[in-house]
Amino acid sequence: MLTKRQNLMEVMKGGNPDRFVKQYEAFALMMKTPISRLKPPVGGTIVNEWGVTLSWPEGQLGSFPVHDEEHIVIKDITKWRDYVKAPKLDYPDEAWATAIADANAVDRNDKYVTVFVAPGLFEHVHYLMSMEEALMAYYEEPEAMHELIDYLVDFELRLAEEFVKHLHPDAVFHHDDWGSQINSFVSPAMFKEFFEPAYKKIYGYYKENGVELIVHHSDSYAANLVPSMIEMGIDIWQGVMNTNNIPELIKQYGDKITFMGGIHSGLVDFPTWTPEIVAEYVEKTCQENGKLYFIPSQTSGLPIDSFPGVYETINKEIDKMSKKMF
Amino acid sequence: MSKIEEVKAKVEAGKSKLVPGLVQEALDEGSAPGEILQAMVDSMGVVGEKFSSGEIFVPEMLIAAKAMSKGVEVLKPLMAGDGSASLGTCIIGTVAGDLHDIGKNLVSMMIESAGFDMVDLGVDVPADTFVQAVKDNKNVKLVACSGLLTTTMPALKEAVATVKAAYPDMKVIVGGAPVTPEYAAEVGADGYAPDAGSAAVKAKELATA
Repeated sequence: MLTKRQNLMEVMKGGNPDRFVKQYEAFALMMKTPISRLKPPVGGTIVNEWGVTLSWPEGQLGSFPVHDEEHIVIKDITKWRDYVKAPKLDYPDEAWATAIADANAVDRNDKYVTVFVAPGLFEHVHYLMSMEEALMAYYEEPEAMHELIDYLVDFELRLAEEFVKHLHPDAVFHHDDWGSQINSFVSPAMFKEFFEPAYKKIYGYYKENGVELIVHHSDSYAANLVPSMIEMGIDIWQGVMNTNNIPELIKQYGDKITFMGGIHSGLVDFPTWTPEIVAEYVEKTCQENGKLYFIPSQTSGLPIDSFPGVYETINKEIDKMSKKMF
Repeated sequence: MSKIEEVKAKVEAGKSKLVPGLVQEALDEGSAPGEILQAMVDSMGVVGEKFSSGEIFVPEMLIAAKAMSKGVEVLKPLMAGDGSASLGTCIIGTVAGDLHDIGKNLVSMMIESAGFDMVDLGVDVPADTFVQAVKDNKNVKLVACSGLLTTTMPALKEAVATVKAAYPDMKVIVGGAPVTPEYAAEVGADGYAPDAGSAAVKAKELATA
């Protein structure tokens, strides 16, 4: 039997996996580092390291940046330098002790030591200035937007340097939602101009420093951005929704990028979920997308569920499909 | 190209710095404010169609709407009290328990661009607040309820039912990622649209039926 890591490699290279990869099983996520971003607790509000006010109201599935006039960070994009100050990343070695112990505890033959970065550049920009203002500014103030993105890239490169120095990760799991369920937020041309070179630098740095796998999360439609994803160096697109034609994407790009998702979290992870509903969607996605260049997974971006039991039930159903199809 | 044609072209291209001047020039040439407004509404109709078909994306739609609103600012003083220019008032909000506002804001902008006066109740709007807003505002023709999460679909149903119970003839449209035409029909909504461009078309259709 292949290890989880070996099995994943076989899926990615179109080789001979001996079972489906079960969602996030091959990734040991390093979440307790001193440079992991702050998140509000459920029911709470915080101001994060960048000055963004984030709120997680009770009963919601995630946190939101607060974008009223008072809380918006960048009040004028042409003066973004007056508002944006990157947080410090130089922590003493002892602050890294827990993360280093976590990394050391991982059998790297079995799993990838995986560092986690969220939000990514696109989201970070709209966290700082609101979605509407950000999207208009790509047209109206493109130079300032390029400068702001360059500044965020510099920060991400320093972040990557710290991760590499302390944890020697095998993989990076990087979040950045690039679309709605039905389309990308920006055109492929705009994406190529603003984000492709930026991510190429970040992901290139990880690759040059021993990181084997780049896993990017965008639970959205983004089929039109796949050529850019490949150019950036993404190995696995996690979060691929069924609104993308996944079988067609696998056929067209499978030898260059692997697709992880196909099980829409909104359809399986809700208050009145049942194991039967989960089973139906897992079977459908495994049958439709096959054994190579595809990892069946919930689309949400962490190995957790909103309603207890869903994540593990998906795993059990994937096991059943492995028995059936391998 | 006539000035009105230029206004149309520049709204569609999202040139918000140029549109006010062109609107003024069109007025100076003798075009009626209502005619210029209609030209901009038509432009936004094209923008909406292009968005629905995937030809353009959210930034293009946003800058076009911004360009139109800059043009409308020039026309507003000349059209004050001219109710004929409006298709009526539309109350819009994201339903209780749901804090997503981007999709709702896009729909609001496009419905406004189609000629409605918008009352935006924001996010996490209880069903009764939609009813109160219908009561508090003049000439309400439409209520638009948005919900992004599967978990807030029951709140969408409640919002439609509460509005319909208070105002049986009020037109209600629903939308958001998990909403399907079947679900819209099941909860008693009068209309559904899959995206902001189609929402404006549907809103106009319902309000002028």
